[in-house]
Amino acid sequence: MLLDASVLLAAFDPEDDHHKPARGLLEDEATTLATLDLARYEVANVVVRAWRAPESVAPLLTAIERLADDGGVLAPTDTLLARAAELAELHTISVYDAAYAAAASDVGHRLVSCDERDLVSKGLAILPADIRSA
Amino acid sequence: MAKVMVSLPDDLLAEVDAEARRGGTTRSAVMRDFADAALRRRRESRAAAMRSLLSDASPHGGRAAEQVKATRPGP
Repeated sequence: MLLDASVLLAAFDPEDDHHKPARGLLEDEATTLATLDLARYEVANVVVRAWRAPESVAPLLTAIERLADDGGVLAPTDTLLARAAELAELHTISVYDAAYAAAASDVGHRLVSCDERDLVSKGLAILPADIRSA
Repeated sequence: MAKVMVSLPDDLLAEVDAEARRGGTTRSAVMRDFADAALRRRRESRAAAMRSLLSDASPHGGRAAEQVKATRPGP
C-alpha cells in the first residue's frame, strides 16, 4: 500500500475521523507500506502551519523514515511527474494529489488516502477503513 | 505461483543449496522462505516503531486531507 500525507497525519491525530483505521494501518504487521517523498514536506507543512505544533514534526518524519525501511519512500522522477500531470488533467485534481496516484500505479500498490473528494471519489485511492474489503 | 529466474553468486547459491539439503526441501522453497521472513521482519520492525511513535499522539482538530490542501503552496 502507498500512503499519502493525509493518512500519516490522521494516524497522529486522535480527533481525525480516519484516525483509528489510519493508525491501525501503520501498526499492521501484514501489509508492506510505502509513501512518496512529497509526504515529508506535506506533513511538516500541516504540523507547523495548521497544527501549530512544531514539536510533532520529528515523530512524523521518523514515521516516514520507518516507511523508508519497509516499502520505501519514493522519489519523484520526470516520468512519474509526467504521468502525474496527465492524471491531474484527466481528473481535474492537483499535481500533488496526482503524484501519489501515479507513484502507487508505478509500483503496483493501492493508494490509501483520507481525501474523499479528489482521490477516493474518483477511484484513485481507497480509505484506510476500506483496505480490508479492497 | 509465478516462476522467475534469479541470478545469485556461486557461494550464495551453495549456501542456499546446503540449507535446502539440511531441511530436506528445495532450493525454491528455501529462497521463498527467506524472502518471506525478511519482508515479514521489515514489516514487524516498522509496525513496532509506529506503535511507539503513536503512543504520544495528541489531538489536532482532524480533517487531515483538507489541511494538507490548505497548507500547500498557492498558484
